[in-house]
Amino acid sequence: MDGLVNVSRRRFLKASGVAGGGLVVGFTLTGCSSSAPPVVRLEGDFVPNAFLQITPENHFRFYCPRDEMGQGVNTGLTTLVAEELDVAPWEIEVLWAGVHSDYANPEFGVQGTGGSTSIKAHYRQLRQVGANVRAVLLEAAAGQLGRPVAALSTEDGHVLVDGERHPYGHFVAAAAAFAMPAEAPLKPASEFKYIGKEFARIDALEKSTGTAEFGIDIDVPGLHHGVVRRCPVAGGALKSFRDDKARSVPGITDVVEIGSGVAVVADRYWAAKKGAQALEVEWSLPPLASLDTERLQADYRVGLDRDGDVTGERGDLDAGFRQASQVVDNEYWAPYLAHAPMEPMNAVVRIEGGEADVWTGSQGIVAAQGLVARYSGLEKSKVRAHNTYLGGGFGRRATLTHVIEATQLAVATGKPIKVLWSREDDIQSGIYRPASLMRIKAGVDDAGRLTAWQAKRVGGNITPDTLGNMMPALLPGAVGDGVIDWMVGLADGAFDGWVVDHSSIEGLYEDYDTPNREVRHVTVNHGLPLTFWRSVGHSYTAFAKETMMDELAAKAGLDAVEFRLRNTQDKPRLHNVIRVAGERLRQWPRRPGRHLGFAAHSSFSTDVAEVAEVSVDNGAIKVHRVLCVVDCGVAVNPDIVRAQMEGSVMYGLTAALHGELDLENGAIKQSNFHDYPILRMNEAPAVDVVIIDSTEEPTGVGEPGLPPIAPAVANAVFAATGQRLRSLPLKLA
Amino acid sequence: MIEFTLYGIRVQTDESPDTPLLWAVRDTFKLKGSKFGCGAGFCGSCTMHVDGEAVRTCVLPIAAVAGKAVTTIEGLAEPDQLHPLQEAWVSHSVPQCGYCQPGQIMSAAALLARNPNANEAEVESAMAGNICRCGCYPRIKQAILSVAGQASGPSLDDLATEVS
Repeated sequence: MDGLVNVSRRRFLKASGVAGGGLVVGFTLTGCSSSAPPVVRLEGDFVPNAFLQITPENHFRFYCPRDEMGQGVNTGLTTLVAEELDVAPWEIEVLWAGVHSDYANPEFGVQGTGGSTSIKAHYRQLRQVGANVRAVLLEAAAGQLGRPVAALSTEDGHVLVDGERHPYGHFVAAAAAFAMPAEAPLKPASEFKYIGKEFARIDALEKSTGTAEFGIDIDVPGLHHGVVRRCPVAGGALKSFRDDKARSVPGITDVVEIGSGVAVVADRYWAAKKGAQALEVEWSLPPLASLDTERLQADYRVGLDRDGDVTGERGDLDAGFRQASQVVDNEYWAPYLAHAPMEPMNAVVRIEGGEADVWTGSQGIVAAQGLVARYSGLEKSKVRAHNTYLGGGFGRRATLTHVIEATQLAVATGKPIKVLWSREDDIQSGIYRPASLMRIKAGVDDAGRLTAWQAKRVGGNITPDTLGNMMPALLPGAVGDGVIDWMVGLADGAFDGWVVDHSSIEGLYEDYDTPNREVRHVTVNHGLPLTFWRSVGHSYTAFAKETMMDELAAKAGLDAVEFRLRNTQDKPRLHNVIRVAGERLRQWPRRPGRHLGFAAHSSFSTDVAEVAEVSVDNGAIKVHRVLCVVDCGVAVNPDIVRAQMEGSVMYGLTAALHGELDLENGAIKQSNFHDYPILRMNEAPAVDVVIIDSTEEPTGVGEPGLPPIAPAVANAVFAATGQRLRSLPLKLA
Repeated sequence: MIEFTLYGIRVQTDESPDTPLLWAVRDTFKLKGSKFGCGAGFCGSCTMHVDGEAVRTCVLPIAAVAGKAVTTIEGLAEPDQLHPLQEAWVSHSVPQCGYCQPGQIMSAAALLARNPNANEAEVESAMAGNICRCGCYPRIKQAILSVAGQASGPSLDDLATEVS
């Protein structure tokens, strides 16, 4: 390893608080990304990483580069490195990685967790880390024991030779002197001990004893609590406020005007909360304040007649419709949704002696660091960002305005500050899954083959707001706010009239073999901030596409499975999950009053087919059982794959049966779990998960189970009642 | 000054009497296992035991627990031991994000304390006040039923486990 890299790494490890001695392992990987840190350029094609630490006492530490929000990434990524290192995953202490480009998500080029990418993106990289380290340890052991490498083997963190077991730790001092191989051979799948095997997730104990630490649990000496009053309408500005009543609450130390509103600071949360409630605030309302849901829908309906921007064109649409013997033309509606993770947004920021610390559970710790630097005026190198467990993410924790608020309060008061949002803040002052009006017109011929697929989506674009919230964090401090606004404006403008924001229409047209198709997008944006919500565009497009497929199947005189099989000749993996789920559907034990619905969808490179067993009683829809067939390539931890499918079904059912945010005078009407209900245990179906056996590399798992559930339930409701429901949430007439 | 016991230890606080028990426990006594989820008693993340009953402490003023016995997730089992539900939670790999799980376990423990052989319907009814946004419900239910001696729930029948 190059000396400069070593120096750089030591400095970094020191800065990020890696303590103790032992072997700290960097590794080199061919095929570097454009985000490679400057030191690597001295080495040409290599990108170093810093993931593992082994002490002389044979203690193993893994610096987990992705954020754990429930999806099991700390178990999954630890398993990858453990497999090739030949140590049991549960023997390894897992720590959250600090900020460093070595920890970038290989798919994004920056440190970010989302898009169901973690296992897929790190599958080879982290196994290679483990294999390289094991190879170096074997070389060191061979030298120290005076035996050839070929005479040595490994097991559970030990080198085995002549019936003796030597802990890896005995060789770490010697190993530090050896050059790391570029690519030590990886195990064949037949030798896997942990990948593909069942074992309890490594964080289950901490999370069952109340000892797992979330952002909300962070405490530092002198910590003060900030509660912010924000304009009820997004984009509004503070006009004036009176704080005499607020200041009379015991414990209040400061009342501060910040970018998002007015904050009350106290030595304990409850006092700050009471103080914030006692503030009298007047707002300057933005144009959004004249909007309610009815007008929004009317505006979208007008948008549906606009041409919009074209994408996904193929073949000759008119010819396709001429070949059709049946044509179906429908509109579909999906409302705004909040993510509502159980842990409300929060962050702790401490600024002291020209340096800062930020603690927050986020989907991009580098963004937390960048925001603290920008809003405190400190260099990024002076800001230490500490990750924690995330009490749910679902896309919400990629937007970190709460970090800005905590930073502004820490700067203004000189105190360490925790900002905690209430549930009302979360639902009413957040960033949302966009509402969408969709139209699909499709033709099918006498052979049951799709001949034409014309789709349009009307609504706000998902990407620009998220980009706008991230850019201040990721760009250098020298890039001013005005420049950022201009760049975000460019992106926003580009998505209206130039190119289509793919996230906003993904899933609307790709899955089936349609020789003639056209997809259009019409941007109608009223200003409510929008972002990624578990499965993003797929969360609404699959509902439109898969309920349309059911109608087309009926028109073609085919059953739901056969029709989909005929139209997935070019999609073997999707075809196969439809086939397997279809076989289960045929064998499904029929119960009186129960009805079955089918849907399939590809997202995040994973294919899923689902069957929902539903009953309808006095207009109430009850989902009793769900079958989920998934092909996600190699299931690194099958039980976590199963858990993600179960969880995605529940998250999707909340949206299918309950999820709806309404606008009234531009403000979100719903406020807490009484009027924004989340699925509860008495409503939760049994979920049977079938994982297709595969040797292909892993694909996404955190989101793909979600998109098919709403249409599967809607199709079952049709079977039960004869009513085609084309709006979410599903409500019977 | 309000006095109560926190898993057997007598404690006092001079917090304002309207302070919810959750915030007194978290901010004054620094026990962070009980979580804030909604502030309105809707989600159960803050569930503790007050005189053995599962209570939503985000809406329970400390004035109401004067002289009472409060137990949090930290005091559910003897030191260095696990409650049978905690063991079941681990063996069923129940948690995903884990944030709601202390509240889930406290609700389940109160249920089994009064009804050690609770059946599926009783579990669903007792647990309906605890939201899990990750949707761990099937596993929570199975874990509770396994401790209640009712383990063979119907969720893993002939459709379930086969890998094609």
